[in-house]
Amino acid sequence: MKKMKMLVIVLASLLLVLSACSWNSSDDEETVKIATMTTTESNIMGNMIKLMIEHYTDENVEMINNLGSSVVLHQAMVNGDANISAVRYTGTDLTGALKEKPLKDPEQAMALVQKLFQERFDQTFFDSYGFANTYAFMVTKETAKKYNLKKVSDLKNIAKNLQAGVDSSWVNRAGDGYKDFVKAYGFDFKDVYPMQIGLVYDALAANKMDIVLGYTTDGRIASYDLVVLEDDLHFFPPYDASPLAVNQLLEEKPQVKKAIEKLIGKISTEQMQKLNYEADNDLIEPAIVAKRFLEKNNYFEDQKEE
Amino acid sequence: MSDMNTFQQFLYYFSENGTYVFQQFLAHFLISVYGVLLAAIVGIPLGILIAKYSKLAGFIITIANIIQTIPALALLAILMLSMGLGKQTVIVAVFLYSLLPIIKNTYTGIKNINKNLIDSGKGMGMTRTQVLYMIELPLSLSVITAGIRIALVVAIGVTAIGAFIGAGGLGDIIIRGTNATNGTAIILAGAIPTALMAVFTDVILGIIERRLDPVKRHKKITTPTIQSLKD
Repeated sequence: MKKMKMLVIVLASLLLVLSACSWNSSDDEETVKIATMTTTESNIMGNMIKLMIEHYTDENVEMINNLGSSVVLHQAMVNGDANISAVRYTGTDLTGALKEKPLKDPEQAMALVQKLFQERFDQTFFDSYGFANTYAFMVTKETAKKYNLKKVSDLKNIAKNLQAGVDSSWVNRAGDGYKDFVKAYGFDFKDVYPMQIGLVYDALAANKMDIVLGYTTDGRIASYDLVVLEDDLHFFPPYDASPLAVNQLLEEKPQVKKAIEKLIGKISTEQMQKLNYEADNDLIEPAIVAKRFLEKNNYFEDQKEE
Repeated sequence: MSDMNTFQQFLYYFSENGTYVFQQFLAHFLISVYGVLLAAIVGIPLGILIAKYSKLAGFIITIANIIQTIPALALLAILMLSMGLGKQTVIVAVFLYSLLPIIKNTYTGIKNINKNLIDSGKGMGMTRTQVLYMIELPLSLSVITAGIRIALVVAIGVTAIGAFIGAGGLGDIIIRGTNATNGTAIILAGAIPTALMAVFTDVILGIIERRLDPVKRHKKITTPTIQSLKD
């Protein structure tokens, strides 16, 4: 009997202690929920927004990590599982979530995306962080030297012999996917392997692939010394990176909006490459990379509030 | 970084990200414990119930069995459709997986009690509740604990997969490792604490289980009395 009582007491106190931990707050309206994708960049920016919000407000911020693609991210936002997306790209969302034709001009694309998100989903697509994460074909330094490659057009004669690894969400994309790429450049590769984007750089460095389609801000471009081929026909639309938030949240909590706005225009493509490099190559967690970056910049406090 | 071997990278990773790993470790553990605790709250009374009304036993154990056969990733995906992303979905998944070991062990624990003990209890004039609290539960407690132990170890594994639906925890670190250049060290930094958590949980609950075992407990008490008789 004593043991029984002990057990009951232990269980009860455990329950009390656990329920006191408020991380699982069930109040959906109250918590700010930031959704991020599997990419390091998305992770870093998500953590940056989290830290900014925590620095400037008393909000309880929850992270939803590792979502597969921007389509999943969009669904999560629409379903109310999340109310902030860490990073969204104009090009991706224009053809993905909004199902529009791709635009080649960065400013037009941004304006249209911002307008359509307001109208259709009641969400605010902020101005860009300052970096663009465009798709680009890249090869190893050796391959580039061997075939004297500088731009995508240079591939024309050798593409038949090349195995290409590409982002799985790019292959079937309408407007700027593989089919349109073939049409625009007039050649196709020997084999095209859709892969998870994180693996393409390793596949290239390990010579499993001859050429891959990767992101321009990826830290591994520098760490593997890869050569990015210039998109000389301007086939890839602009992918300016911005945060996206649900309007309801921004109206209820204007402080959150202010905290996010402080990051707008603060991070260049080179800066982002550096941050990605720190996380991917130097084994520092995105959460810590984000924290160090913000601490170094004093949480952008000097900036005057509008 | 490339000049370090995996082990050095692993140590370096911990020196840089120690606090982060600890946070994730705690979050991971709490998700598992929450799920199992909920399952215990539901499962133990249910186990007692089906031990008393054996007609229900087949039905309920079959259902729990069926839940157990669903692969973790599939269960998470199904739950995600109705419950959305995040921790609560994983907690429910853990809850569902924990039901079978807890119900079954409670059921077995109570069924296997020597009928003579219960009869003598009744003969002493105990009510049904008294029989339950004074005979059946104390005697089956170690078996029930064994069920919780199995459930918690499984739960830690399920929670790791939960990172795919944005629940966080150590699975987050493992997934990040698969995306990073020098992934091996990061994968290990997520996987080793997960494994250690499971092993330690198993060992600690194993000790508790043995403490609660009436046979072994009995031995401990009887040995000194025999000695004292000799004196």
